[in-house]
Amino acid sequence: MMNQGLTTDTVVKQDLNVLEKHQIVDSSGQASASLTPGHSLLPSATGSTAVSWTMHITDNSSSENGPHPNSSYYHNQQTEPLSREVPDGLNAASNAPTSSNLGHANGQQEYAGYSSYTSSTDPFAYGNTGYQQGYYYNYPQQTTHSYSQQGGVYQHSGAPYQPLTSFQNTGPASYTSTYYNAADYQTTGGYPSNEYNNQTNLWNDASYAHYPSHQYSAYTSSDSNGAQSSSTVAATPLHYQQQYKSWADYYSQTDVSCAPGTENISVTSASTLGGAVPGATGGYPFSNGQPPPPGTTSWRPEPSSSELPSLQAGAVTSDAYNAYWKHGTPGFQNHVNPVPSYFQKPLDPNPVPYDSSRDQQKIACPQGSNLQYSGANQVPQNQVPQNYQPPLQTFPSLDTRRVSKLQIPTNPRIASNLGLSLPKTDKDSSTTNAATQPAYISVTMPKSNNTVPSHDAADSMLKPGMFPTSLRAYVERALSRCKEDSQKAACQNIMKEMITNASADGTLFTRDWDIEPLFPLPDVDTVNKDGQSSGAVSSLPRYKRSPSRRTKSRWEPVSEEKSVEKVASVNYVSVKENSWDHSKQRDGVFSSGKCEGIDDGWNNCKFAPVQQQTPSKNVQRPVKKQRLSDNFSNAENGGASSDSDKEQGLTAYYSSAITLANSPEERKKRESRSKRFEKAHGHQAGVKHFRQKAVAAGSLYSRRANVLELSRSYKDVGSRAVEDIDWDSFTVKGTCQEIEKRYLRLTSAPDPTTVRPEEVLEKALQVVLSSQKNYLYKCDQLKSIRQDLTVQRICNELTAKVYETHARLALEAGDLPEYNQCQSQLQSLYAEGIKGCHMEFSAYNLLCVILHSNNNRDLLASMARLSDEARKDEAVKHALAVRAAVTSGNYVLFFRLYKMGPNLSTCLMDLYVEKMRFEAVRCMSRSYRPTLPVGYIAQVLGFTTISATEENEEKDMDGLEECEEWLRAHGACLIKDSSGEMQLDAKASSSSLYMPEPEDAVAHGDTNLAVNDFLTRTL
Amino acid sequence: MAYLSMGEAHRRISDYLNRFFDAVTSQDGSSLRQLLSVSSDYPHLLSLADALNVFQDANRLIKQADRYSQLGEIIGPLFRCLQNYRTGHLVDAYNAFEKSANAFLQEFRNWESAWAMEAVYVIAYEIRVLAEKADRELASYGKTPEKLKGAGSFLMKVFGALAGKGPKRVGALHVTCQLFKVYFKLGTVHLCRSVIRSIETARIFDFEEFPVRDKVTYMYYTGRLEVFNENFIAADQKLTYALMHCNPQRERNIRMILKYLIPVKLSIGILPQSWLLDKYNLVEYNDVVRALRRGDLRLLRHALQEHEDRFLRSGVYLVLEKLELQVYQRLVKKIYIIQKQRDPSKAHQIKLDVIVKVLKWLEMDMDVDEVECIMAILIHKNLVKGYFAHKSKVAVLSKQDPFPKLNGKPVNS
Repeated sequence: MMNQGLTTDTVVKQDLNVLEKHQIVDSSGQASASLTPGHSLLPSATGSTAVSWTMHITDNSSSENGPHPNSSYYHNQQTEPLSREVPDGLNAASNAPTSSNLGHANGQQEYAGYSSYTSSTDPFAYGNTGYQQGYYYNYPQQTTHSYSQQGGVYQHSGAPYQPLTSFQNTGPASYTSTYYNAADYQTTGGYPSNEYNNQTNLWNDASYAHYPSHQYSAYTSSDSNGAQSSSTVAATPLHYQQQYKSWADYYSQTDVSCAPGTENISVTSASTLGGAVPGATGGYPFSNGQPPPPGTTSWRPEPSSSELPSLQAGAVTSDAYNAYWKHGTPGFQNHVNPVPSYFQKPLDPNPVPYDSSRDQQKIACPQGSNLQYSGANQVPQNQVPQNYQPPLQTFPSLDTRRVSKLQIPTNPRIASNLGLSLPKTDKDSSTTNAATQPAYISVTMPKSNNTVPSHDAADSMLKPGMFPTSLRAYVERALSRCKEDSQKAACQNIMKEMITNASADGTLFTRDWDIEPLFPLPDVDTVNKDGQSSGAVSSLPRYKRSPSRRTKSRWEPVSEEKSVEKVASVNYVSVKENSWDHSKQRDGVFSSGKCEGIDDGWNNCKFAPVQQQTPSKNVQRPVKKQRLSDNFSNAENGGASSDSDKEQGLTAYYSSAITLANSPEERKKRESRSKRFEKAHGHQAGVKHFRQKAVAAGSLYSRRANVLELSRSYKDVGSRAVEDIDWDSFTVKGTCQEIEKRYLRLTSAPDPTTVRPEEVLEKALQVVLSSQKNYLYKCDQLKSIRQDLTVQRICNELTAKVYETHARLALEAGDLPEYNQCQSQLQSLYAEGIKGCHMEFSAYNLLCVILHSNNNRDLLASMARLSDEARKDEAVKHALAVRAAVTSGNYVLFFRLYKMGPNLSTCLMDLYVEKMRFEAVRCMSRSYRPTLPVGYIAQVLGFTTISATEENEEKDMDGLEECEEWLRAHGACLIKDSSGEMQLDAKASSSSLYMPEPEDAVAHGDTNLAVNDFLTRTL
Repeated sequence: MAYLSMGEAHRRISDYLNRFFDAVTSQDGSSLRQLLSVSSDYPHLLSLADALNVFQDANRLIKQADRYSQLGEIIGPLFRCLQNYRTGHLVDAYNAFEKSANAFLQEFRNWESAWAMEAVYVIAYEIRVLAEKADRELASYGKTPEKLKGAGSFLMKVFGALAGKGPKRVGALHVTCQLFKVYFKLGTVHLCRSVIRSIETARIFDFEEFPVRDKVTYMYYTGRLEVFNENFIAADQKLTYALMHCNPQRERNIRMILKYLIPVKLSIGILPQSWLLDKYNLVEYNDVVRALRRGDLRLLRHALQEHEDRFLRSGVYLVLEKLELQVYQRLVKKIYIIQKQRDPSKAHQIKLDVIVKVLKWLEMDMDVDEVECIMAILIHKNLVKGYFAHKSKVAVLSKQDPFPKLNGKPVNS
């Protein structure tokens, strides 16, 4: 805790220092640094000093910042133009000393300014841009914009690598990742502020991803050295394009135009880089790539390490993928993920991978010590640890028991790194900064120097025993208490802190872990809350969380392979879920809540169980992967295993995985799923193939491609079979003999035992017809009859009868939605030549069109459709007369027709009565003077019968009163004349009439759905 | 059919191929148009169809010449289309043509300049015509006619290819008009709206920039749409525009425009001269106009009934039906004039009984209530100025201008 607090402080200081030194007196910049709760972000941005650190920090901060990024980001956004400019200026200043072509070239670039800060600044820039874009929601612009910026980034990153053949690789790789982020960005662009924040994070990620990519690229290059460097170089760009394409496909709506732009940019950037190379090579602080080649060669011979290159290459690409797939925050994880993916496998053999990573570090360190490469070294070193960390930490989350061994060691290491290196860097940056190395950007150099030693120290310290076994036991004990994943996560978080603290103050090995009391079980809820609130409040908590964040990301790897698809699906399926995830992830705590973090649902339920079941992760996991991410995981894994040793094992479990995956149940499950992801699969597969082709070195790739092809084709066959299914054979023949059946919307294939055969349905219809129960009951019964008819594909007179019955009942009850359903069904039934009350229903149809849709074309069409025979039908004639009355506004005629409507026409006309009456009264009030007796109105407007006979006089009196009420309700002015008869004051009413709000209006528009109403009406 | 030697067939096909490629390479739109107009009776196309029947392996010919390969996608299906069209297999012909047209569109997108516009026009036309014919054939088999729908979506694609900055945009209106034709025929008029919106709101389009004939067609169709919506002022504007800019030689087109313009003008109170109706053979409107002049309700109803089918199909039925009120107005006015001649002082008071009696003469069986209602509506719609006294059953007319003229405005609704 202390340490972390310290580190944060230092970072802040750094920032400030840096800022000042660079004369970034840009108030906004400072403000952002000081103001933003998430200023941890800023460090990353400005903290050029701690390149390596920033790496970590950005990672952490970006992940952590999630919750509060808002403020910081807004801030950034506002200041954006300024800040951008400033960096440029700085660059010019800082770069000037270097005087290398590169520096200048970069300086020319938009973000050249950042070149000095390199990666660290980039995130910042990205955050800004990302923000901006998100802010404007201008998709097309976004892409292009981001693109250009990325291009800038690319150049930065690329520059250092120039000396290497790999540089091209890295460039594209980084590019892709960023690019993908951009894509993510776009997709998320539309969301509210929450996601928005995520996006910003994402941007950071992008920059972050950048780093890993460098590293990887370096590795790949080295790898390719052995095999074919040129091929790899070529491959990545290609690969990139592919990805791009898939992306384009995916977001086809966004804009295709960016495609050419992007390609162009990449090309140009590459070219500029190439030009810059000579000048830049050694001197450039950022030359991450340089160390790796030597390093790779040195450690390559080692069996364990040999895996690395290929794996990392794979990882890089996966980065891109991940970024692509995961919108928003997930991007973070992605970056880390690739690494883990690499590590995971090595881990199984346990110490081996670790060693290899250590080796890497070692190698890097020496190089780092070289003054020339100092800057470059930093990056690799940092990255290496990072890489390493993720896997380790992820493991705990996954399988606590197993993981504990490996996991714990790494943590302290990281912690030590953090603790040691940060302060140092701080000091250095503050003191030496610009002075130390004129040639380079002042900040980076000192830092690198410092960091290298620190790393070394850490390495040396950690190498021997990593963690005491007692500590491992302790962790196991602690975790075994946890009942829930979230709890576990929280515990892990706490333990991580403990360990970091312990390692920081040197008690890691001295403490007796066996007797160390277990910390109280964290309350997940509170922890969550804490995390959130703390994030907003101060930097300290944030820092605390930072490790957690990392964990999350680390933890991701596991998920990554499996989750890639998942995430993608999640993204596609629902933005909401995504946002939810983001928020989750952003929770500092949740960091520990690895399980929750990424995708609650699936991680928890699917993944965890699997691991528990089988200790042998090797076999199990691939299967898992296979299921979840199918081809993708395969390819990913494949990327990891270019080594011949691995190859065997891998192929073994791939095949097993495939067989497993192709087992009937598996396939069934997958079929539906695969449909959903078909598109995604296509893209991925395509990309994969491309990559495989591109990376000539891996014969395994091609093999995997075959396997993929196979599995795909297999699947295809399956799906094709579905299309050829003879649906007739699936028609259900009901066996249910119960006459009454409640309607329940089918959610699965109908069960014949619950479906009634035709005879029973006929009886059921009779029951309904003779039933005295209310409409809701009948409707329910009829719907179930209809369902059974549909399910059994019965299409005959009975069907027509059922629909007619239902339509009539619905009309009587005024249930128009149900009526419309029946009417449309009836129309198709009649069209098939099934006998029924065709005329009656075409009259209804006509009335419906007249009265409810104000669509002349429909009316004309349905009129033109009437046959001569139909025109002679009474009902149809009536309907046509009603139409004429309505179109001419002849209310007298209308209400006459209303009184003598055949069948249920009156019910339909009922729905128009109100409107007609109102129009009529309006017309009357305008044309009659001075008054009009209410009695006449009542008679004309159908309140009373026309000829008042003795028997219905009473009724007429009621009608009169009703009419009076109605007139008053509509704002008419009624007066009593000398004889006491009620009169309508036409002139006064002409201006006072209004249509009252319907009293029975329901918010959802369907009175039948009103809860009260429904309850009173049900059976 | 005269015997056609293999060599002759071969010669004709390669001749066609040569002409096609020459047209493309020299960017000669009009000759390309001739080569593409499948349904026309150009002699070279007829002879080509014969040749294709004899020489079955035209695809080989197309493939043979390497330089033809990129256009082979267009020509291959086009040959099949020609062949099927001439042998009366219209559905197959349509399918082949759609393939060819798609390939052509693909190529067309790559051509920067608008030289091939004529060819696009002819393709847009041909695909519609072929689709109509194919649908007829499908319907005769009892299958669902769906080709026109397909043609509609293809035309939408063409529209997409044209609607952009650049010289091709002038063709957009032509395609729009073809789309209108398809949509009107299909009865999916609502689909017009999106195209109209893009034509009228997109800044890339300047309406005056389009060719006149397309403008006329466009105005005709949009005017018709306004008729459906009973938006008579707008309909009048559009249809009048179409009429004014229509080529006076094209009597058929003028008649089509008048078919809609006359009802529109009638409903805003403007009656056509009888020679106009005669000249353009719009006799169905004769009685309607006469009824309006005379206030003869019976004649109007009779005319409507007589031509109901036609009016329903063209969609003016409801418009004409609404003329009834104007006929009533004319009738009341007649009564008023007669009363004025007899006794000017009492002329403005029209007894309801009189109107009922008049209607009886016209064999309109309406009772007092109904007639009262009609009078109320007339006053309400401002066709008659005055008021109705219910007690005395008298319509009291305003002394000033009791029967206001519509003067180009629709009846108040």
